[in-house]
Amino acid sequence: MDLAFTPEEQAFREEIRAWVQANLPKEISHKVHNALRLTRDDLQGWAKILGKKGWLGFGWPKEFGGPGWTAVQKHLFEEECALAGAPRIVPFGPVMVAPVIMAFGNAEQQKRFLPGIASGEVWWSQGYSEPGSGSDLASVKTRAERVGDKYIVNGQKTWTTLGQYGDWMFNLVRTSTEGKPQTGISFLLLDMKSKGVTVRPIKLLDGECEVNEVFFDNVEVPAENLIGEENKGWTYAKHLLSHERTNIADVNRSKRELERLKRIAKTEGMWDDARFRDQIALLEVDIVALEMLVLRVLSAEKSGKNSLDIAGLLKIKGSEIQQRYAELMMLAAGPFAMPFIEEAMEAGWQGDFPGGVTANAPLASTYFNLRKTTIYGGSNEVQRNIVAQTVLG
Amino acid sequence: MDFDFSDDQEQLRDAVRKWVDKGYTFERRRAAVAAGGFDRAAWGELAELGLTALTVPETHDGMGQGAIDAMVVAEELGRGMVLEPIAQAFIASNVLSQYGSADVQAAWLPRVASGEALVVLAYQERKARYRLDVCDAKAAPAQAGHTVTATKSIVAAGDLADAFIVPAQLDGKTALFLVERSAAGVTTRGYVTQDGSRAAEVQLANAPATLITTDGLPALELAVDTGIAATCAEAVGVMDKTVALTVEYMNQRKQFGVFIASFQALRHRVADMKMQLELARSMSYYASLKLGAPAAERRAAMARAKVQLGQSMRFVGQQSVQLHGGIGVTDEYIGSHYFKKLTQLETAFGDTLHHLGEVSARMQDTAGVFA
Repeated sequence: MDLAFTPEEQAFREEIRAWVQANLPKEISHKVHNALRLTRDDLQGWAKILGKKGWLGFGWPKEFGGPGWTAVQKHLFEEECALAGAPRIVPFGPVMVAPVIMAFGNAEQQKRFLPGIASGEVWWSQGYSEPGSGSDLASVKTRAERVGDKYIVNGQKTWTTLGQYGDWMFNLVRTSTEGKPQTGISFLLLDMKSKGVTVRPIKLLDGECEVNEVFFDNVEVPAENLIGEENKGWTYAKHLLSHERTNIADVNRSKRELERLKRIAKTEGMWDDARFRDQIALLEVDIVALEMLVLRVLSAEKSGKNSLDIAGLLKIKGSEIQQRYAELMMLAAGPFAMPFIEEAMEAGWQGDFPGGVTANAPLASTYFNLRKTTIYGGSNEVQRNIVAQTVLG
Repeated sequence: MDFDFSDDQEQLRDAVRKWVDKGYTFERRRAAVAAGGFDRAAWGELAELGLTALTVPETHDGMGQGAIDAMVVAEELGRGMVLEPIAQAFIASNVLSQYGSADVQAAWLPRVASGEALVVLAYQERKARYRLDVCDAKAAPAQAGHTVTATKSIVAAGDLADAFIVPAQLDGKTALFLVERSAAGVTTRGYVTQDGSRAAEVQLANAPATLITTDGLPALELAVDTGIAATCAEAVGVMDKTVALTVEYMNQRKQFGVFIASFQALRHRVADMKMQLELARSMSYYASLKLGAPAAERRAAMARAKVQLGQSMRFVGQQSVQLHGGIGVTDEYIGSHYFKKLTQLETAFGDTLHHLGEVSARMQDTAGVFA
């Protein structure tokens, strides 16, 4: 047992740190460090910078043009990006659909879609949830009917994150109603500029439009956009979801936000309040424990010994921590987190925020926004079912 | 960054687990509790397994192993709720080998290693609670060595131990002494504690004492931190077994015509227990991996670990009783003894609130496993 990273891993970290330092635009990291509003250009701008370096698909193997990093290297890359204040990589293309295209797509599809994902040029969206299919994803109803060399798609997706910017969308669609719900699902790639696609942003409780409804009205999709075999989409979706859950602990970002929480507590005079400070201390212990848990998973991946089937635990704890830091940040400012001035969440706003601390403007919004973390990616209750299954049978 | 155990460590684990399963049955333990909570024969068996010698340097007849080996041993002994306090052997070997004079080391370490001498830390004073810098015990120079006058509480196996490691004030500063139980002026009053193990109140009245170090506070901190790491590991073993017992019970107990393991309200509770267990295991690794770090870093790590372990122990213990229902609160059932063990371990070497205060006081701008 050894806690330290190897000298090679340390050197790798230094290399990433130096590169991020030199290439991450300061106006973007300033927004991230202060939870200010990020535009499409901020997100895609950073994606393209990474893409040019060949790091947007940081988890990709070499054969598909990725860096071929180990699990530890991927972790270090994500950590350095997070601590430096890089925006989260919008995962739908490089982290979600790309591995499915690599594993189950044909050579033609790989050639056609992967370069645009790797460069950050093409914005992908996820078409999974529907109004009637949240945690019970296998119940999706959006129909895709095969007519000649096309599918005709009808139905509705929802909670499509940043779908208003989407160029392409990967979808779970129903191609059969025979047998179990899982067996009639197909995995279909769809050009969002196709006729019959309507995207309607949903305003969320924080006032932002982070998610969308997407309607399909007789949308024609070439049959060549089907991934793998018809009716096998559930298998591919599960492959994708398992990928989503190991990333979802998000401990690196939580470490950064813990630093911000301490800054806010100091500004607000709560750092010297023992009762409040103890709450930060509890969160600090939680974050260190989660980081140890993540490192244990990485170590197990590295050595192949002691496999750890604890993705569910990472998701539960990671999301609870995200909610907790947002809650404490808001509580640190107390009533001065309550004024709702939307413009104050823009970088460079020069107005007079009530109480005099403009940094308090986004605190309540972030708190509200992060309630999603225990709901998405398989709700924490579904995760508990999965964990219980592994323990109790 | 590597959390795999070496082959030697796996073998050590197997050997200790085998002894616990075969040699330290619940019946034997129950008899030992009834007989006072400490079984010298069992201590001898631990010594035969090489466990009292584990962290003693090889130059003093020990095995010279490290914190991770000690962690493996403590986990396995925890699994069997072994009463005999192996943590005390780790404490004595760490403190004496790092702070003791050559003479003290030569006189005591081989006997600690062989199990012949049970040397225990006697540090706790009534009004200090968990603070290590509060110490009323007084030491004074004497013709040969020193004398110590002190009242120390809840000393592990205190009325059966062979010697005590005792902090006391010397020239306005905490120093650490070794006092033999057989020395003049030593009186002890032994009793059984809630987890079935033995402890004692120890009174020293001008008792002859050997100076270990005048650098008493850092040495005491090392002693306590060694105890914390061992306690965390022991607690992981106890919790691992507690979760296993609970799972086993839920898969055999029927109510409303079905196994209670089928009820979602209970299943989610088990998922939460698994969470606490794995966070605790992670932080136990963290504690043992940091035991050799510079003092400030080590102290901060131990406080973090004990906060996690304390919360985990209380949750796992309480939920285990609840999920067992009535049988969980009987003395006859083994599970209630695991619960009592967890309850007492939370208070060992500082409880959750104490260590939360430590974490709180030590917080820096950045935090994480490496900061």
